[in-house]
Amino acid sequence: MMPARAETWIVVRPVIVVAVLSASLFAGALPASAQVKLTFDKHPAIDFGNAFTVSVRVKSQNDWRDFPSEAGSDQKNVFDPYRERIAVEGTIAGRVLYHVEREFHDTSSPWKNVYLETRVLHGVHLQGGQFNMPFGLDQTTSLMNQDFNYHSLAGAFLAPGRGLGVMAYGDFFKKNLLAYEAGVFRQDGDNTRSAQLQDVHVAPTFAGRIVVKPFSKWQPLYFVRSMETGFAFTDGELPAGLYNLKGQTIPGDGFVQKAYVNGRRQRLGAELQWRPGPVGVQAEAIRVRDTRFGQGIEDEDLPNLVERAWYVSGTWLVTGEHKKDTITPARPFLNGGYGAVEFGARLERLSTGNGPALNPAVYGPRSPDVFPTADLVWTTGVNWYVNKFFELSLNVIREDRTLPRTATLSSGPVWSRTFRIEFGL
Amino acid sequence: MLRPRIQPLALVLAIALCAPMLTLSAQSAGSPTSVDTLLDGSALNDVWIHINARDWQDLHTNYKDGTYYPVDFEWQGVNLRNSGIRVRGNTTRNDHKPSFRIDFNRYVDGQDLFGLKAVVLNNSWHDPSMLHDDLSMLTFRKMGIPTPRQAHVRMYVGAAREYAGVYVISEEVSKTFLTANFGEDNGYLYEFHRQDGDNYGFQEQPNLGWYVPRFGPKTHETESIANLYIPVRTLVEAVNDARRDNLEDRLGEYLDVRTFITELAVQNFMAQTDGLVGGVGMNNFYLYRFAGRKLSMLIPWDQDNSFSRMDMPPSENMGSNVLAAKIWDEPKHRDAYLARLLDVADLVSSGWLEQEAARQYEQIRAAVYEDPLTPYSRDDFDQANAFVQQFARERSDVVRQYVASIAPAVLRSRFNGRTLTLNLPRR
Repeated sequence: MMPARAETWIVVRPVIVVAVLSASLFAGALPASAQVKLTFDKHPAIDFGNAFTVSVRVKSQNDWRDFPSEAGSDQKNVFDPYRERIAVEGTIAGRVLYHVEREFHDTSSPWKNVYLETRVLHGVHLQGGQFNMPFGLDQTTSLMNQDFNYHSLAGAFLAPGRGLGVMAYGDFFKKNLLAYEAGVFRQDGDNTRSAQLQDVHVAPTFAGRIVVKPFSKWQPLYFVRSMETGFAFTDGELPAGLYNLKGQTIPGDGFVQKAYVNGRRQRLGAELQWRPGPVGVQAEAIRVRDTRFGQGIEDEDLPNLVERAWYVSGTWLVTGEHKKDTITPARPFLNGGYGAVEFGARLERLSTGNGPALNPAVYGPRSPDVFPTADLVWTTGVNWYVNKFFELSLNVIREDRTLPRTATLSSGPVWSRTFRIEFGL
Repeated sequence: MLRPRIQPLALVLAIALCAPMLTLSAQSAGSPTSVDTLLDGSALNDVWIHINARDWQDLHTNYKDGTYYPVDFEWQGVNLRNSGIRVRGNTTRNDHKPSFRIDFNRYVDGQDLFGLKAVVLNNSWHDPSMLHDDLSMLTFRKMGIPTPRQAHVRMYVGAAREYAGVYVISEEVSKTFLTANFGEDNGYLYEFHRQDGDNYGFQEQPNLGWYVPRFGPKTHETESIANLYIPVRTLVEAVNDARRDNLEDRLGEYLDVRTFITELAVQNFMAQTDGLVGGVGMNNFYLYRFAGRKLSMLIPWDQDNSFSRMDMPPSENMGSNVLAAKIWDEPKHRDAYLARLLDVADLVSSGWLEQEAARQYEQIRAAVYEDPLTPYSRDDFDQANAFVQQFARERSDVVRQYVASIAPAVLRSRFNGRTLTLNLPRR
């Protein structure tokens, strides 16, 4: 069996080869008079005219964590080098965009977003390689652009994550009134249990997302113009196995009972984002349904397994900058100001299971019911955007867990604190 | 005014409604109330393993793994849902008729079968008679050595209730076993895992890491290596340091020499070739160190390789084990060992073992004949059982003649009322 890492390399290699070959060809073919431009705005970039461009991006996130000490949970290190990435991206002949990104902290799957994309028609772009499947607002937002230190539970565990596939995307009408993404992927994304990805290599999954900005053309209604809402789905083959989606507490311990599934996995998601001036509001709800054909102790079909998650969050840039994906302080620290400061709060919940939490004896991986568990999480935080490169974030997180009576993890309220230093180039 | 007329009607209705419940109660009353009827061997019980067909196939395909699969375990109307099953065994591990461990706690904390958190289903892969293990364990118990209880069962599998053959069901050496036999369960219990190429017999091993793969902790599993294994190494050092003429004084606080002598006597009487003094060193035992004490004892396990041959001398392989060699080389201990051999011979020559072997043979014969997975023919089974009964009938004389040939005084002393008592903590 080919390890997942080797399979990813199969995709990574051609992208790198295309990029390097293109660079060589175009560099050699360039007339001497062609402009080679070196720029360093937010990140270093070299442009060989319109023939070839390359830019380097660095993403670094280092955390200091204060997690509760819990029975049944391994002691977590206080310092966590959460993310250390380098990405190379650019365009070839002004038509093809490439992106190669490698993580140095995660040795099990170091290649992250690796893809080529191009525009084939007006309003139709094609993208192929390994990248985030088009589902979920939180999951498809880069962690460098997140409002909080961790993805939401919905984005981290119920959204599919990154996968190998091809996707068409684009928008219709002016001002992005309607944007769409639709793709087919070799299997479910990397938020799925790693055992599923290792055991089963082909389980085609379709994913689609539509985002509507209903008021984007309404010049008079500036206040609601930024509002956008979206819907997404995935529908994929679900191999037989102990492959239901996982759920983890903030410190990273699994709290969802493992269960056998088989048939199809279907996700439905709804999202909302609104950014009036310095304020941002975001919400999302996801429902995942796994069928369980023939998975009973005596080969009988079992009821579908349903997992749900939602979140609502709000942020406020008290220094007055407009809320965007990437915040650049109007007055950077030590450069005439104090940087940008943002306060935020998020309430979210992930729940799974479908039985009455009375008798633990009725719950097993092949029982009709899956033990009902849930994690309700409050995150409050403050972000200090020192300048366009550095950001410091402090999050205080309160979990309220609903776990089996016999669980070794702590039930009820649990507090965590995380402090992050982020550097982006 | 209607009330007086309704009351008798209500009574009739109540009785009618309660009748099914009374029936259910009667069924409940017929259900077992303890695990004794499963493990006392008085009847051939049926157990039914409800398992998904795919899991049953995977379990056979990946029989070398220790993967657990969910099952419902049913016995006489008692259904332990969401238990876990995995293949077990070392040299007996195979994909044709695997041995199993069923863990009632695997997915459901606190679930048990009348106190047992797990049971073992042995395939008797090396024993065509299917009696060696159980008869040996019974003999140990009659000689005062606590051993797990066993019995034969017919095993059925899957929704179609397919017959999967005769198995030997056994309780585990576990906290439940410790409580039942010693009145405590908070000491340190280890399962010995013989490693390939080992020929170990209490030889000193200064490196604590050497003990880790061989003495798997069954209690206090999360304690440090030092806490778990320094006492084991100290016991081994004591065995090696003790002078053979002074064994009990030097070793007494670590190991009861008389208990060890009894265990040796039973195993060698039963011609066990894979026990404390087997041909490949020590094997098939648990080590239990009593709570708050330095004293340990060895608990026999898996005696499939007993009844190996009628004429096996009871001194065979005694030199392979440091402690057994000291016992054999020191006249007073050797006499004690030979005397204990004669105790076993007396017990067996009473006819008890032969009767028990014959009873068990009759009990399982038809079921074994129908066993679709046994690797042995009916003739193999019948001949092996005939030998077991012959062994039970004749082995005592063989052992007595052996003792008479090397220590006639020991044989004579039996008529002077000499007996040995064991020094084990008892509930």
